[in-house]
Amino acid sequence: MSERGSAKEDLPFSEEIVVPLRSLQLDSLESCYTYVARDLGVSESDILLWLMECIEHLPHKIPLYGTLVGLLNTEDSDFAAKVVQLCRERIEESLVSGDCNKLRILIRFVAVLMSNNVIAPASLVEVLETLLSLAATTIDDEKGNPAWQPKADFHVFCIMASLPWAGIELLERAPDELERVMAGIEAYLNVRKPIVDTCFTAFPSSNDDYLVDLWKRIKHCQESGWKVESVPRPHLAFEAKLVTCQTHDFGPVTCPYPPEGADESQTSSFGRQHHEAEQKFPQRLRRLSIFPPAKTDECMAPVDRFVVEEYILDVLLYLNGRRKECAAYLANLPVPFRYEYVMAETIFSQLFLLPKPPFKPIYYTIVIIDLCKALPGAFPTVVAGAVRALFSKMDDLDIECRTRLIHWFAHHLSNFQFVWPWKEWIDLVDLPKWAPQRYFVQEVLEKEVRLAYYERIKQSLEDVPKLFELLPPKSLPYFKYTAENQDGCTESEMLLSTELTAMVKSKKTARDIQVWVEEKILPAFGQKSAIEIVVQTLFYLGAKSFTHMITVLERYGQVLSKLATDQSYQVFLIQEVSKVWQFSVQMTVIAIDRMMGYRIISNLSIISWVFGPDNVERFHTSDFLWEILRNAISKTVNRTEDLQRDIIAAQKALDLARAATSKANSNLQTAQSVLDSAETEEAVAQATAKAEWAKTLVEKRKHEEASAEETLDAKHALLNHSLREQEDLFISVFENFCSVLSERLSKASPRSTDMEEDKPSAMDIDNSMENGKEGQKKEQLTEESQWQAATLGQLSAVTRQYATEIWKHMDKLEAQVFSRPVHYLVLKTLNNCIRRI
Amino acid sequence: MARLFAGSEVLSPYRDRRFPGTQDEFEEALQASTTVYVGNLSFYTTEEQIYDLFSRCGEIKKIIMGLDKNSKTPCGFCFVMYYTREDTEDAVKYVSGTMLDERPIRVDFDWGFQDGRQWGRGRSGGQVRDEYRTDYDPGRGGYGKIVQRELESRRQLVDYAGNLGTYYNSSGAHDDHRSSHRSSRGRKRHRGDDDYRSDRYRESNRESRPEKNPRFRERHDSDEEESSKR
Repeated sequence: MSERGSAKEDLPFSEEIVVPLRSLQLDSLESCYTYVARDLGVSESDILLWLMECIEHLPHKIPLYGTLVGLLNTEDSDFAAKVVQLCRERIEESLVSGDCNKLRILIRFVAVLMSNNVIAPASLVEVLETLLSLAATTIDDEKGNPAWQPKADFHVFCIMASLPWAGIELLERAPDELERVMAGIEAYLNVRKPIVDTCFTAFPSSNDDYLVDLWKRIKHCQESGWKVESVPRPHLAFEAKLVTCQTHDFGPVTCPYPPEGADESQTSSFGRQHHEAEQKFPQRLRRLSIFPPAKTDECMAPVDRFVVEEYILDVLLYLNGRRKECAAYLANLPVPFRYEYVMAETIFSQLFLLPKPPFKPIYYTIVIIDLCKALPGAFPTVVAGAVRALFSKMDDLDIECRTRLIHWFAHHLSNFQFVWPWKEWIDLVDLPKWAPQRYFVQEVLEKEVRLAYYERIKQSLEDVPKLFELLPPKSLPYFKYTAENQDGCTESEMLLSTELTAMVKSKKTARDIQVWVEEKILPAFGQKSAIEIVVQTLFYLGAKSFTHMITVLERYGQVLSKLATDQSYQVFLIQEVSKVWQFSVQMTVIAIDRMMGYRIISNLSIISWVFGPDNVERFHTSDFLWEILRNAISKTVNRTEDLQRDIIAAQKALDLARAATSKANSNLQTAQSVLDSAETEEAVAQATAKAEWAKTLVEKRKHEEASAEETLDAKHALLNHSLREQEDLFISVFENFCSVLSERLSKASPRSTDMEEDKPSAMDIDNSMENGKEGQKKEQLTEESQWQAATLGQLSAVTRQYATEIWKHMDKLEAQVFSRPVHYLVLKTLNNCIRRI
Repeated sequence: MARLFAGSEVLSPYRDRRFPGTQDEFEEALQASTTVYVGNLSFYTTEEQIYDLFSRCGEIKKIIMGLDKNSKTPCGFCFVMYYTREDTEDAVKYVSGTMLDERPIRVDFDWGFQDGRQWGRGRSGGQVRDEYRTDYDPGRGGYGKIVQRELESRRQLVDYAGNLGTYYNSSGAHDDHRSSHRSSRGRKRHRGDDDYRSDRYRESNRESRPEKNPRFRERHDSDEEESSKR
């Protein structure tokens, strides 16, 4: 939304113009037309810009806006010409800027303009063919760069996606050209390479890639005479009027040449470029099948499903943050069939979109809550049905998607009095701890407790006391040094702890305590005991709340830093903290996160602790270790991002300071020349004073410039440091994953340790994960295979999410991690997740 | 997109009367702020619950619980500080109006926390709204403070089993099945020997006021004891 940004920013909100346009309905079309036509004389340019704003941001109403322009064309063909011209300009802008959504929507609008006789069919075809040839050039080995296929695919997607809005009209008015476009698309599809989406789908899937899938739907649509129920055709009512109008020349669309990426095909590896292209032109949807087809696909033609999904995704995109409008539009899409089930599948598909949904997962939670309220008769049942269906397929659900589902479900229930028919799932109590379904319920309950409190959630399970077993323990700190606990600690340790407690309560300074530790504990008991006593005591004292803990850490963090001098002591420290909070995973997670924040412990220590031998055995039975890992990585990456933002700001400040210096300099020169040419005594005195002042200013500005420069340098140094930290972190993460996985995978299938080949082996869990048939599979699940699936799943999650960072550090990673003997499944997962082909 | 719905937009429906600057400065502060004000919390809602909910919008820097200035116990609001503006906006966009502890909470941009703003500004120590409320809200100490005071003085004047419920019903405030003794239930529950205070909160008034346990929710409070309190 940048190109015309400045102009648009200035456009003042005008109630009289905006409200009728944005609330345009089928039945208000004529009155809106009269209203707008009347005002064109006075505020034509504002109307034009607001109309475009509506088109670009309420795309599910494009047929209405198209007809509005068509009607206006009968009255004021100049205005329509301006719409057409602006539309072309914006298409060109979005081709340059790579604004996917704008391009897709504008192409649709051009199609609708043709249906309304504002432009000729030949014009539309010309636009579509321009895009087609751009796509063909983009993936051309010589003129373009095949690594940028995601972009070419997207352009062809835009063409196909516009056809439901214009197919029937084109068939009527320009059948040969339509045929030609279809042939062109087919030719492109034959040249391009299919997308390999392994590792990016919520469930193992053998679906076509999104472009081929859309092609099939469009073909089907063509075969049924281009009838599309989901696209309203308001222009039909005005046909007689519209045909009499003059059509406008759309004019040729200029595409950037050579296509993006063409020049870099030599300089950077294919995989890296492909990744970049994919970031810029991401797949919007990976369809999810949750419900039986009778409730979804059989309710509508294939192309209608596509159109409904487009509507839903666009409302989600453009009405983000407008909760009321978003729910209202979603609940009232302009289609003549029921679509709640498809809507649920689409929203869940967004929640599950890999590597990451367009918005934070909480957004989809809110949308679902709002829809349950907007459609109280229909939607809650659909949501419950979705949960049941997903639950039944839990074994096959991607690990990261499973985590998202857990977070969503707990949050959702917290908004509906925690009511759920848990009874249905009572049998899972008999499943082993690691069974995915049991894991799911256990984690949902844990997240529910975090959002509420133990007793409340226990109460919500009142009629299924059997499930109490799955509840987390009551969140209480565990303090070693009490009469009851006393596990293995000596009298003297208890006394030291009591003494420390008294010191903290009497607000002794960190320095005092440090001295006390050095004198009283270290010599007699050693560093580990010191850590034990200090951690136990401090964290117990800070156990009352998040703020209590922060206060203790802020005040006495340096005592801990002094004790946890290297990684092994830091790992020991984390271990002690996790003992204090062994009954509350949430507090463990928060404590570790904050200690990293205060730099008491390093991210590397956290990783090392997570992959410690005790924890490895818990990889498949609870999420909190992964939560800690995710936090440590995201904090590290956030730090870098913050610094990058700071650097941009510091650079700006420096530029300003430089400009100020040069201005001051030129002022000084002027003053100097005035002084030189001064003749009278008085003038000399005056000019001298001025020159002096100008000199002072120059000094001042120079000083400011120097300090701005210093700031920037300092930030750069920090950034370099932070990038190194990031690199070390990823190396450590992957080293740990590789070693822990390779070891256990080789035990399971010793023959395939060599990294070269993906020969299927006797116990190929990759196979069971990818093509597992439900039912039969259950028996095959063993604890070991579950551990492997879970750990590989977590590896996928991290790799997918940080693919950009991983590509950045690829050379080092190659040299230090991936060149060693790594189990082929690990490598395969890695390569799939960064899409290295 | 938002532009289409602009115009009717206000950044925050509330203007903090103690904000030192002008309206423009106030709005400017809101526009850049990375702090949100959270309202209509239950007195029992803990920082950890807030942490869990709000970290769904991004990494949290700090949580500052709003406290009753007399009792130093949570009084139903807090400030959440984020690291980035984007996360702050998402908290306002997404969390406002949703349930926490089964209450719809309110989330607004805040102009920035300053020491002192953690205290309730009502006469009785809590939030002003809890002075004047006439409804019965078990999550926020029962009736509003003024009503509570009135109830208590009536209790001394009139017979114990009198139907104060009906009395307050006349102002249309609550269901008539609630009987008088409930009025003090909320306060009763605050009792506990648990010291809910970080040193930062600990400034004065330790002596007489019992602290409430933020997560003490058992239903067995015996109401007779209640009258002995305070």
